[in-house]
This record gives sequence, structure tokens and C-alpha cells, in this order.
Amino acid sequence: MNKEKAVNKLQEVLNLDRSAIKKMPMNEVEITISKRQILLAVKTILKSGIWHLSAITCQQLEDDFILLYHFWKSVGVTLRIRLEENNPRIDSVCPLIPGAEYYERESREMFGIEFLGLPNPVPLLLPDDWQGGYPMRKNERLNQDKPKDNKHKQKGKSS
Amino acid sequence: MSKITVPIGPQHPLLKEPLSFLVSLEGEKVMDSTLRLGYVHRGIEKLAEQRTYIQNVYLIERICGICSHIHSTTYCQSVEALLNLEVPKRGLYIRMLLCELERVHSHLLWLGVLAKNIGLNTLFMYAWRDREIVLKIMEEISGGRVSHAVNIIGGVRVDLNDKHLSLLHKGLQELKKRIEEILRSIENDRGFQARTRNIGQLSLEEIKRYCVVGPVARASGLDIDIRRDAPYAAYDELSFEVPLMTEGDVWARSVLRILETIQAIRLCTQIINNLPDGSISVPAPRRVPAGEVVSRAEAPRGEVFYYMRSDGSQNPARLKIRTPTLTTLITLPGQLKNMQMADVSAVIAGVDLCIACGDR
Repeated sequence: MNKEKAVNKLQEVLNLDRSAIKKMPMNEVEITISKRQILLAVKTILKSGIWHLSAITCQQLEDDFILLYHFWKSVGVTLRIRLEENNPRIDSVCPLIPGAEYYERESREMFGIEFLGLPNPVPLLLPDDWQGGYPMRKNERLNQDKPKDNKHKQKGKSS
Repeated sequence: MSKITVPIGPQHPLLKEPLSFLVSLEGEKVMDSTLRLGYVHRGIEKLAEQRTYIQNVYLIERICGICSHIHSTTYCQSVEALLNLEVPKRGLYIRMLLCELERVHSHLLWLGVLAKNIGLNTLFMYAWRDREIVLKIMEEISGGRVSHAVNIIGGVRVDLNDKHLSLLHKGLQELKKRIEEILRSIENDRGFQARTRNIGQLSLEEIKRYCVVGPVARASGLDIDIRRDAPYAAYDELSFEVPLMTEGDVWARSVLRILETIQAIRLCTQIINNLPDGSISVPAPRRVPAGEVVSRAEAPRGEVFYYMRSDGSQNPARLKIRTPTLTTLITLPGQLKNMQMADVSAVIAGVDLCIACGDR
């Protein structure tokens, strides 16, 4: 099958450990790689026939940033990359997949990830004169005017 | 010749939702265009992190005013996968029925918008008149015309009764007749062809490079459909065709969407004829175990993608939503290049944008 082929090829090209490959629900497989390997990994996946990049998810986990590149072709292959909190930079995949531009721009403005080589690094969703930091980061709060009231209410509900 | 720049949007008669285009013209020819999103950005991904899994079902449904049901379907699917919950067959079938009715309604809405943008007001009236049939059915079933709130985690909220079924049988038959009529008139109408043929063409190569999904991709010859390639709900038990065209222009997209509407009606008929007995939902626990899940579904505009991470608390730790419109938007500047200014309206309508989905 396509997936097995791609996973084996990735493992071989990137010299990956068996523990880097994780099976997920819904016919998905997740492969953890380092950020230096991103372009090579994407090239390998594209070569094995999985050319559709569904999305790039960015999230904060234990203070570090996690980038997930979700590829799909009947089966899903996800690349998982951890970026340190103080240096969230990674090569842009736009030269290989032009369709990744919006996904990278969104992660850039929402989380402050720097994509090196991103062709058009301007805001996508936020206003041009936005000065409120990176809204999707964990330390950014909603309703900054009245955080106390909000917290109080939620606590009351759950108890 | 001197260049002028024409702004289209954020508020413009061509656009049903706010989006901003800056089109540079040389004479009547479009030389370049840039677009700007974010006018309906509501921060739903962040909001979802502050709400419980159950509250989120209703939040997620408000991402889009056209394809609201498919969003809640994909969301519930993700939570159910994390909970390892098996939804009863009858519940899945009712979910699919609403998905397909929504596809019919979305495609007819789009046809009306395209017809109006290219000056065919009669077709616009016909398409929106016929859309009322499906909206009335959905209102009868769920109580809402576009926001149905039918999905709950573990199944659906409403059951179909005999009144619904007879309404469906009658409505679908009528709808099928009318859509075949529309297809005939589009295929023979010279005015429609003149405005849509060879307009906004995308090659298969471009479609792949930009990761485009849905009817826009299928109109360029890319055979991709989540319902068939990675069946969710109970699509593997139904038989349907995935229409495919190769021209890749607005005309191909129009014909393809109408063919898809006919398939969707066929699917609806199959669903109500084979509706299994039994319960429509199972009770779902409120706490979701820690884990990650990726879920996909075929919205009227193509693949919708959800990623969810749970940390074991009552709110999702991260919910990522990628809607099909985002993939189509990125191709628009390329499609508009070298077009006549008068064709811009046909191109914008032809790709079927849902800005609220794109912005979230």
C-alpha cells in the first residue's frame, strides 16, 4: 500500500528509529522528525505519491511548539516536529508545495513561528495594524478586560 | 497603457461575504491581483479551547452558514473517535441524510449566485426557488433552515418519522426533475456557455500543487472524494458515483456541481429507503480521554479537516480546522490573471467561496 511504502522510504532516507513511527486512530500514521529534516522528508513523501497536504497544525505543548504536517492520499501520514520555545524557526515548505502558503502564514501570525523562505510573510487573518501579540498562544487570554469574572463563573459551573 | 487598481470588496455587490481583492488592470485586462482575508475572523479555534466538548458542538456549527452540518459532523466524529464510541447505524444514516441534503442546498445556492453574477437572473430565480424545497425538508426535520443542531456527540438529536419520510419522497422526486431540467438548459444555453467556457481555468498540475479539493479539483480531472476514498459515517454501504470533468473552467465546475446534486439526491433516496431500525444515539461520557485524532469529511466544497487533541480535561486542548475554501482562495490570483475585468465576477462565483469558513 501507498502508506507502507512512504513510511518505509521515510524511515530509510531519514534514518529514523522504529519508535518515531506511531499509529493513530482513523487510518493515520504519525512520524516524528527533527526540524532539519523537514524539506528532505517532504520531498520523500511527495515522491512516494502522497502529494496532498491537508493542513499544517501548530500547537503549544509543555511550552514548546509542535508543528504537524498532515499529508493525505486515501490514508493519512502526519509529520511531527518539535520546535523549542525560544527559537521557533523552520524552513518553509512553500518551494515544494505552493499550497502551504496560507497554512504557514496562519501559524506565523497566530503562534509566532518563523518560516524561513515564506514567499509572502504578511498577515492573513489578523488586521494589518494588529499589536496584540500572538493570539493562539496559551498565555494569550480571551476577554482580557475581565479575566477574573470569567474564571469565577467557569469554576462555579464545573463544581 | 497606464495601470489602474480596482478594489473589489470588502463590501461589494459581487461578494456575498466580506473579502478584499485588489485587481490591477491594464485596459480591461487583469494583470495582477492580491487578496486579503480576515474580515469575518472570529477566532473559533481559540474559542473552542475555552468551551466544553458539548458546548463546542454548537459553536462549531456556527463556523459556516451554508455547510453548518458537515462541520458538526466532523467535530462529533473526532470526539467519538477519542471516546471510542460507536454510533448506532440509524444515527449515522440520519447524519448522512442531512449531509446530502445540505450538499443539494449548497450547490443550488451556489448556482444562483453564479447565475446572478453573470447576469442570468432567470436561472438565479429558478435555482433559489428549487432550493426552497430542500430547505423546507430540513426545517421540517430539524427545526432550522441552515443551522440544524442535529448532531450530538454519540449520534443525532432528531429521529425521522413517517411525515418526514413522505415529505422527503415527494420533495426529492420533484427536486430531481427540476435539477435535470436545469442541467439541460445549462448545457444548451449559449449565453451561459459564452460566459463560462475557458474562464478561470486550472490545470491538473496546478490543482495538485495548490492541494485544491472538492468540486474545483474534480472539474480539473482530479479524482478525489473523501466519501469514497476514506469512507466516514456509513458511506461505504451506499453506492454513488463521483462525477469527473477535465476542462477545469467555470463551465466544467457548473456542470459537475449539478451532476453532484443529482448524485446527492440519489444518495438521499438510498438512505431513506434503507434506513435501519434502532436507536439514534448512545450516551456519551462528558470527559474525553487524552489523545489526538485527525478527522476528515467531504463538505459541499471539498475535504474539511479537523485535528483535535484532548488532554483529559473537559475542554479540547487544541482544535484545528481547515476548510476547503482556504485551498481554493490561494488559486484565485492565478485564475484571474489575464482575464477580462468582466469575467472576474464569473471566476469569483465559479470557485464557490465560503469566506466565513475560510476565516473561521
